[in-house]
Amino acid sequence: MTFYSPVVTNAKEIAGHEKLHLFEYVEDEKQYQLKRYLEHGGYAAWKTVLGKMKPEEVIEEVKKSGLRGRGGAGFPTGMKWSFVPKDSPKVRYLLCNADESEPGTCKDRVLMERDPHVVIEGMAIGAYAIGCHLMFCYIRGEFHHSIERIEKAMEEAYSKGHLGKNIYGSGYDLEMIVHTGAGAYMCGEETGLINSIEGEKGMARIRPPFPAIEGLWECPTIVNNVESLAAVPHIINRGADWYRSMGTEKSAGTKLFSLSGHINRPGNYEVELGFSLQKLIYDANYGNGISDGKKLKAVIPGGVSTPFLTPDKVDVPLDYESLTEAGSMLGSGGVIVLHEDTCIVWTILKLIKFFRHESCGKCTPCREGTGWLEQIIQKIEDGRGGPDDLEKLDSICGNILGRTICPLGDAAVMPIQSTLKHWRDEWQYHIEHKKCLVNQNFGF
Amino acid sequence: MAEAVKEKILAVATITCTIDGQQITVPKGTSVFYAARQIGIVIPAFCNHDKLKPVGACRMCYVEIEKMPKLQVSCATTATDGMVVSTNSQQVREGRKAVIEFTLINHPLDCPTCDKGGECDLQDLTFSHGYDDSRFGFNKMRFIEEEKRDTFDDLKIGPEIVLNRNRCILCYKCVRANKEAFGEYDIGAFERGDLTEINATPGGEVSNPFSGNLVEICPVGALTNSDWRYKIRVWLTKTVPSICNFSGSGTNITFYKEDHKNFVYRVTARCNDAIDDGWLSDITRYGYQIVNSESRLKTPLIKKGGKQVKASWDQALAVIKKHMGEIKDQSGGVCIGGLISPSLDNASLYSFSKLFRTIFKSNNIDFRGDYRYLPSVTDSPFTIAASQPFSIADIEKSDVIITFGTDLIREHHNEYLKIRRAVNFFEATAYSVNPYAVKTADIAKSEMVYSPGTDELVINGICLAAIEKKLVDSSAAAKLKPKISKLSLSELTKQTGLGKEQFKELAEAISSAKKITFIVGEIVARSLERDKICAALSNLNKLFGVQDKGQLAVLSRYANSKGAQKLGLSATPYEIVKAELKKIWGEYPDCQPRNTDSMINLMKKEEIKGFITVGTNPMRLYPDRGFASEGLEHVDFLVACDMFETETTELADVVLPLCSWAEYDGDYINLEGKVQTGKQAIKPKYEAKAAFEIMELIASQSGVKLFENEQSRNEEIEQLLSLNSVLPWPDDFLEIDYDKKSSRDDYPVPLFICDDPHHSGHLTEKSPSLLNFSDSAYVELSKGMAAKIGVADGEPVRVESPVGKIVVPAKISRVLNSDVAIIPRNFSSTQTTSLLMRKKRVDSVKLTRVEE
Ligand SMILES: Cc1cc2nc3c(=O)[nH]c(=O)nc-3n(C[C@H](O)[C@H](O)[C@H](O)COP(=O)(O)O)c2cc1C
Ligand code: SF4
Ligand code: SF4
Ligand code: FES
Repeated sequence: MTFYSPVVTNAKEIAGHEKLHLFEYVEDEKQYQLKRYLEHGGYAAWKTVLGKMKPEEVIEEVKKSGLRGRGGAGFPTGMKWSFVPKDSPKVRYLLCNADESEPGTCKDRVLMERDPHVVIEGMAIGAYAIGCHLMFCYIRGEFHHSIERIEKAMEEAYSKGHLGKNIYGSGYDLEMIVHTGAGAYMCGEETGLINSIEGEKGMARIRPPFPAIEGLWECPTIVNNVESLAAVPHIINRGADWYRSMGTEKSAGTKLFSLSGHINRPGNYEVELGFSLQKLIYDANYGNGISDGKKLKAVIPGGVSTPFLTPDKVDVPLDYESLTEAGSMLGSGGVIVLHEDTCIVWTILKLIKFFRHESCGKCTPCREGTGWLEQIIQKIEDGRGGPDDLEKLDSICGNILGRTICPLGDAAVMPIQSTLKHWRDEWQYHIEHKKCLVNQNFGF
Repeated sequence: MAEAVKEKILAVATITCTIDGQQITVPKGTSVFYAARQIGIVIPAFCNHDKLKPVGACRMCYVEIEKMPKLQVSCATTATDGMVVSTNSQQVREGRKAVIEFTLINHPLDCPTCDKGGECDLQDLTFSHGYDDSRFGFNKMRFIEEEKRDTFDDLKIGPEIVLNRNRCILCYKCVRANKEAFGEYDIGAFERGDLTEINATPGGEVSNPFSGNLVEICPVGALTNSDWRYKIRVWLTKTVPSICNFSGSGTNITFYKEDHKNFVYRVTARCNDAIDDGWLSDITRYGYQIVNSESRLKTPLIKKGGKQVKASWDQALAVIKKHMGEIKDQSGGVCIGGLISPSLDNASLYSFSKLFRTIFKSNNIDFRGDYRYLPSVTDSPFTIAASQPFSIADIEKSDVIITFGTDLIREHHNEYLKIRRAVNFFEATAYSVNPYAVKTADIAKSEMVYSPGTDELVINGICLAAIEKKLVDSSAAAKLKPKISKLSLSELTKQTGLGKEQFKELAEAISSAKKITFIVGEIVARSLERDKICAALSNLNKLFGVQDKGQLAVLSRYANSKGAQKLGLSATPYEIVKAELKKIWGEYPDCQPRNTDSMINLMKKEEIKGFITVGTNPMRLYPDRGFASEGLEHVDFLVACDMFETETTELADVVLPLCSWAEYDGDYINLEGKVQTGKQAIKPKYEAKAAFEIMELIASQSGVKLFENEQSRNEEIEQLLSLNSVLPWPDDFLEIDYDKKSSRDDYPVPLFICDDPHHSGHLTEKSPSLLNFSDSAYVELSKGMAAKIGVADGEPVRVESPVGKIVVPAKISRVLNSDVAIIPRNFSSTQTTSLLMRKKRVDSVKLTRVEE
């Protein structure tokens, strides 16, 4: 195989499935080329949209489909598009968020490398829906292969008239720019991303004004995740009702999950929303169980920004509502599995190091708090913890949660809080015995 | 569009909310923070700034809002109808405490060695809102500078600014003000998280002309300046309200002084929204240092045997009495002339006028020592244009702003910032129209750079384009057209270098404006053809009805230029002023009026034998140094009053030490006509005296008193100031004749002599801080121009005009994009005005690389 990033997928299953669509051609080595993409019906939706649909109709269709943002927050995509002021004389921008940096999540990358045209087609349709004539694809800087594939695809699309001036004779012009990141997690946060494109440091902006009203260069701007946009051509081709027929009532459609950690078959899997987490972890077609036959200790269901689930909560449908009910979040779909030998303190130390390093430094609680948390947790991990440290952690987390500009602050503390709640004994043990409760003998 | 935004901000619609139990109605769009302030509730804040957009970074300004579970930042939360806010609930207090705690964990707490101590927001808010103890048990993060001797981890990031990154609480005010208010990018934030640091942009330094503001708005001791740091504790100083003496805007300032040392320690802003928004140019901030200068003139000097020697005031006055008396007796008072600085206060200006006109019976006075060839007529179009009303506050209410013939960053810092604000905050559209590219253009919708010396043709072009496009009243158009259409629009485009489209764009902008500000600057005021250009402006004003929907004026340049105009300080005052003077004095010299230029001419002819300069330096500033020096050297008896030794005092027979504006109470009239008082901060240094005292002393030598007392003087001044000094425009359209541009093949490069962005006039080179930014002359060239003559940045260039030659280093401009040369006039070490010719419309020079 000539794939850049070999990864296990459930493509075989999808091939025989009438509905799963994002990964339909993910194992097709040539799908990244325009020719093959067209053979598989590529750009048909874009043609339909330009030829037959008004922007409002596109928005309406996507609204009806129930598609929700796959970047983490799960905000309804069509509704977001409808927030762009109709009467604004300003230009509008569509930004495809391809900064995928959430540890545990690596699905956008597979889409971009193996099916780049669907991303571009989705962007184009979104751009048209909001009246945008210049769209950006902001790709994580380390994703060399994604950048290469998207750029190549963009050139092909331009050369064959799928982008550029007067597309398909419709009179609609659409230009595209590929913008690469420089290694900051924060540039995936939508306002950080906007700042980054403007040439500023990737720091969050306070909302309101929301980007849809005042974003890039103070113009109405829509930021959408790669996966959200990739679903759009399918919705146009097959209709909102078809999309709605998948998933649950409030979480329509399919979603890509990146499964990693102590799992026998890590990989990227497309499933309908509402799919059982239990099944995703244990079914032979997916995770195929915990590695080394160990017992499950915890699952982080939606990337490292989401609270840990205890094993008794694993029998949960993977949809936005159910996970919230279970005390966590669907997030970006990065499912990380931890087995019984994992030390919770050690794990949390890894996470807080990440968040401290990635805090943009704009707002006080996150900037100062993450560093403080790391130092306390490091102290506990090193066996120097004190009796009041857990209370201090509770208090500091409480002073960050809900008090910051962007959700990174929350993301940094929610996992900690969940472990302080469910595994407090283990934290306590670490402080009292100056070592791990479990016999951890692996490293990442 | 702009209107919509303004409505939001400037009122009309209102909302009513409840804050801490009190109902308050505020304009829609007001933040909770400002709504609270209106009922006297001050919410603590670090990152909020009245003149910047909110960022919500520090999180200090939390409030609790009903129906919202989380604490909200009041600075960035808009108050809405029915909102119920609590600014001091238990949750809010705990939230603030947490923020202070976070802020302090990495703060060095080096208050005893920190210059901000006593005026630090962090100190104050910690006392009022923080915890008394600390839960943080780790080492504080520390930036350590390489310079090991630096005990305080200080880092110099600009000519004046010292940064201590450890103290920085990352409110981002410095970076935001630089970007949002000044359009500068020489300071930035780098790295991430708790490693985030403020610093100069890599490879650069923080040296923009407004950089001093960053120090002032820094809430902690992270940014300090060498001007003030470690010199005195703030609580040992007293403050005195005053006015900037270096600009026409009358920027409000505060002096910090200490009485025992009789010393001024610093200047800060005294925010006046109607004028300055609390921003100072560095000139305003650091220019005060000239007051403390060791090189001040300390005593009077008199010339003995060709050398100036120290003398007492009595001795000096006796010499003046003798010589001026002789000249007056033998040749008449008309043989005495005088030139005064328009930066002096009303009392000084008026006393000068009265001394000349009632004691010497001479009408030979002027205040415009740096304007070439001014004809002696009273209501020329230029005089009219310069008398027009103008409101600084109206700039930001305008939807269209046109700057014509002005390089604002070198002439009117304050208005430069106002325009930026109008564009950045109120969606105004700006156009820059100038004979060379200027910095203002970065916020302009379009920048139009026209050929030097074609100013009135540009104005005509705008008028013709409007007529052609039928944008103006057709009967007015029919009347104007014959007077200006000697040159067709296409001919005008050839001459001016502007395209038809550009004329059209300007015409459309002016005609579609709802409220317009049209600023005319020094390029016009200093031009030999100022009257012709202003005649064209008169036509434009009439054609478009500019003043019916806004303002158009030549802005006056110096601290009291407007006062000098209103008090009649030129040989040709407004008729109405002249009449009033006659009434007050019962007399008025009935001799030929002589303005600066003709006075110098008469010196050469030995018809002016005695001359007095007050606070001005024609040898440096008059735009033809050869001419000025020939004249002044011919004068039999020259008296020069100044704060410092200058090229002019060097020639004087008697030199008198002059007070700075910090040493006495004085009234100044800003370019809007607003009278403001600068209070005395310190006692006169050494033996210096204020100009009004000196005039009274000179008068007393003739046994006369100029004024009974201060009160009668002020009453006379009041009387003059109460006159309406706005001259009416001509009723009819004016004919603009056209003379062919002379070719200048030998001297191909147009030259503009103006102020360095960090200097003003001839005095600021005595400010050490300002010298740190810029300390000697240079020739500023575009990249292309430099390439043509083969010089790199900093390499010496020979600049030759038909009358002079200097060698100065090249400075490659980031702004210029055409073949012009700009040289500052502020440094005594280079005789820049020796390149100029008083009867030339556009000075031009030849540039050559100096071979090593
Ligand atoms: C710290 C942080 C990092 C984020 N990183 C990403 C990212 O890498 N990719 C992404 O699509 N969304 C990311 N998001 C979410 C975006 O802010 C935004 O909600 C999303 O791109 C919107 O697209 P969607 O509506 O299609 O989900 C991040 C959010 C935060 C707070
Ligand atoms: S929460 Fe953290 S990452 Fe987000 S704005 Fe604040 S400091 Fe930056
Ligand atoms: S240097 Fe001062 S003004 Fe700038 S961010 Fe730091 S504390 Fe704020
Ligand atoms: S003042 Fe509101 S967040 Fe800083």
